[in-house]
Amino acid sequence: MLRSESVLKMFAAAGLALAGWAAPAAAADATKVALVPGGPHPYFAAWEKAGQDAMKDFKLGAADYRVPQKWELSQQNSLLESLLSQGYNAFLVFPGDPVGSNSTVAELTENGAPVIATAGCLKEPTTALFCFGTDTGNSAYLGTKELIKAMGGKGRIVHLTGFLVDPNTQLRIDAVEKAAKETNGAVSVVQVIADIDAPEPAEEKINAYLAAHANDVDGIVTTAWVPAVVASNALRKIGDKRIKMVGIDHDEVVLKAIKDGYVNGTMLQNPYGQGYIGSYALDRIRNGCKVKAGAPFKTIALTNRFIDSGTVYADKDAVDNYVGSMQAITKKIFADFASTYLTCP
Amino acid sequence: MTPVISRLARTDWFGPLAVIVFATIIVSAFDPSFLSPFNIQILMLAVAVNCVIAMSQMVIIAIGQMNLAVGAIGGLAAISFAGMMQIWGLPPLLAAAAALALGIVAGLANGLLISATGISAFIITLASLSIFKGANLGITRAQPFYGVPESVKAFGNTTIAGPIPWLALPAALVIAAMWYLLYRQRIGRYILAVGGNQSAAELSGISVPSAVLWAHAMSGFLAALAGVLLVARLQLGEPTIGDDWLILSFAAPVIGGAVLSGGHVSVFGTLFGVVIVAIITQALVIFRIDPFFVQVVLGLLILWAVGVNRLREVRMQRTLKRA
Amino acid sequence: MNAPTSVEGAAMAESEPPARDDGLSQKGAPGWTRFLLTNEFGLVTLIVIFGAVFALGTPGFSSPFNLFTLGRTMAIDIMIGFSMMVVIVTGGLNLSVGAIGVCVAIGCGWLLEVAGAPLALAIFAALALGAALGALNGVLIVRSGLHSFIITLATMSVFFGLMLFLTHANAYRQVPLEFSAFGKMRFAGYLSPLLLVSIAIGLLLAGLYRFTPLGREMLAAGAKAAAAELSGVRVGRTIVICHALSGVLAGIAAVMVVARTGAAIPQMAGNLGQDWLLPAFLGPVLGGTLLAGGRASVLGTFLGAALVSELTNGLLQFRIGEFWVQTWLGLLLLLAVLMDLARRSFLARRGV
Repeated sequence: MLRSESVLKMFAAAGLALAGWAAPAAAADATKVALVPGGPHPYFAAWEKAGQDAMKDFKLGAADYRVPQKWELSQQNSLLESLLSQGYNAFLVFPGDPVGSNSTVAELTENGAPVIATAGCLKEPTTALFCFGTDTGNSAYLGTKELIKAMGGKGRIVHLTGFLVDPNTQLRIDAVEKAAKETNGAVSVVQVIADIDAPEPAEEKINAYLAAHANDVDGIVTTAWVPAVVASNALRKIGDKRIKMVGIDHDEVVLKAIKDGYVNGTMLQNPYGQGYIGSYALDRIRNGCKVKAGAPFKTIALTNRFIDSGTVYADKDAVDNYVGSMQAITKKIFADFASTYLTCP
Repeated sequence: MTPVISRLARTDWFGPLAVIVFATIIVSAFDPSFLSPFNIQILMLAVAVNCVIAMSQMVIIAIGQMNLAVGAIGGLAAISFAGMMQIWGLPPLLAAAAALALGIVAGLANGLLISATGISAFIITLASLSIFKGANLGITRAQPFYGVPESVKAFGNTTIAGPIPWLALPAALVIAAMWYLLYRQRIGRYILAVGGNQSAAELSGISVPSAVLWAHAMSGFLAALAGVLLVARLQLGEPTIGDDWLILSFAAPVIGGAVLSGGHVSVFGTLFGVVIVAIITQALVIFRIDPFFVQVVLGLLILWAVGVNRLREVRMQRTLKRA
Repeated sequence: MNAPTSVEGAAMAESEPPARDDGLSQKGAPGWTRFLLTNEFGLVTLIVIFGAVFALGTPGFSSPFNLFTLGRTMAIDIMIGFSMMVVIVTGGLNLSVGAIGVCVAIGCGWLLEVAGAPLALAIFAALALGAALGALNGVLIVRSGLHSFIITLATMSVFFGLMLFLTHANAYRQVPLEFSAFGKMRFAGYLSPLLLVSIAIGLLLAGLYRFTPLGREMLAAGAKAAAAELSGVRVGRTIVICHALSGVLAGIAAVMVVARTGAAIPQMAGNLGQDWLLPAFLGPVLGGTLLAGGRASVLGTFLGAALVSELTNGLLQFRIGEFWVQTWLGLLLLLAVLMDLARRSFLARRGV
């Protein structure tokens, strides 16, 4: 027992020495980015490709997409801790919780790894460099405006949205409400159904609601991926195209429903651009760049260091070329990103 | 008249049925759209899948054990079904058959370990829950399979006639088959006998291990079937399928009068238990009561049902003693 | 990471109940065989072997930062394991550990943020809530005469649902800085104070079972309820106390999670708190606490939970492992109960 422990200690020491010897050689200046979403979710799938492209284009040591097993803060925390131990030295993180993630993010930065809160923000004070994502409030606001236009300027709206733990959800609820208020009572939000960003509960709640209240509803705005998919299917099932809908993101089901006329349009976000430009920014920061003092950050509810990754409305005519529109946004932001937000030696 | 009522009151299914009728009257009085064809269709969709889940647990309760892995087997079968169609391009029927076979194998593995080692079903199925769920995550990397053919989607989302969805068909077959197997076939009698009193069953020449294996194979099959049906209904092979089945799978049989120590379950009672849960879930949405309340109600329902069952048990023992 | 546990080895001796009925007498197999065949020895061996494999196989495993985070997770897993162990001792189980834990965390967060209570009071009151919820479980079980499985299955749903209903799934995030600093604190670069808390509580539990009449009554009530009742143990009362204790221990685990994240979040243990179930059972069962009741191995539970945390951490370090973690843990559980069975039959044969 004692012997085996001392053997272990020897091994551990040997391992440490190995790691210590190997680490500086490998990590002298190679940036190893980890792109870590809050949990498994189709929205983030574009990060994988974005990381691979960024690695090639900017000659990074790595830019790997690593997913926590479950949409749960403790799982994400232990994955982040583990990735730091594995030698990743720069992080794009979708915060599992706007406050609860701060302690882990602080540990990452204390260990010398810069962090960008990506696709969702951290609440100030935070050690993350800045927040880079869709201005979700704005996107929900614009989407609701489009919906109101499609509804002919009056009627009753149902808002279907995502996880209550998601820092963006409350912003979306407020923005939809704001757009409706601007019609001076012609449009009202009759129901907000939240916490349905997983298929089983979404299927159950949305169908149960439409079953009981389909006649009292003129429009549906969805501001999360899964509800958009489920609601698209539900409208197809009802089939009369009376209820207007504006969805979010680019799931096949939603795009097809737009083409077939069951859904009016969708608010595209730019996850690819987030991953690609974010990886680039982290590498620049690790190579001596600083976040520019007085950079033109936007201020949103959670933070005053926010950069919009872009959003665009796609209707029936624009649906076929949605990849093109996403790439166009990315190109536009990337063109002057460094000069706008960074100061480099 | 009175003897009829008292005889009815003694059956397992009468109480739950009375609750259903009563609840329907009340809910539809407040909101007539509750009985609209579309709403009935939604109700039947929920009941169809959930009753298969409940039957999967019921057959294990019948033999006096528990199966924590019902959801994990269902989830694994679901993603295998969708995955085999998307990645290998198998035709839906073949993929479904393979997924159901996988469920049977998983159930058999549970049954084999339990009867060979004598370790409690709780521990064995807790371990296998973890193994199956881990395999699910390992295979899918927690991403859904989207490649579900149109024919499967149509099966999960269209109706036979009026408000009756196609999904109700397999559920009805399962109910009929369970009733036939449990009450009209030797294997059903064996399972109930082993659940009621294992050593007595053994003495009367019943092979306990084979009854246990049968029960777990059936449970695995039904769990896998529920997973396959959910893929059709959700139109994708989602790795989280099965995560939330545990409470429901116990609630429905218990509301339907099942005795947890084994030997006594009711197929129709379980079905009505599922219907009660579905009506309550719907009613909470219709009355715009906080959806979070569903959990509380479900838990209280279980407590109420086990309490009632316990009372009936005590009373029945007393009548038996008197007679 | 091994240092603290092996120091514990001497202190936290396994507690044996007065009446042990698995047919093993103290004579029979020579002492050293019995020692080599104990669960605890097996667990230490496994911990050492896996530690060596991970340290050699991945550069990150033995880094001070990783040892620190490993200790921190371990501390929480150990508390979760203890909270199940104290109920398993009575021959029952408590599926609502996770739900109680979340209720305590949210209660603590509410007291700190909304009621503005001082830290010590908030923690104390929240733990009292845990004790009350646990005691409610106990009372329902004793009064109804039903198995704890179904009762705690139902209360898991009720507790969690009520908590969500009252808070609307809101998280409480105004946790005092000194409290979240405690979660980040490191001794000597790699030791988390949370682990020291778990060790201290382990010592207290071992003391409870070994030296106090109450602890012995708990073991007796679990081993042979009827016999214990005859010899004057109030079995019902003892079971209620065990469940209340389970609530407190689950609460301590939850408070640790709050300290670690700096926020009380309703989803911290998954839906209904289900995510705690596996660690809750893995620790005690790997540690050799029989599900039949009547025997508690505090050291075993401690080591079992430590092994689980070590495995989870190590598999995360290997890239391929991360999504298969749960499968490995399930296989480990299966292997452990099978080995336990084999050891028992071996000892029984040798003993005859």
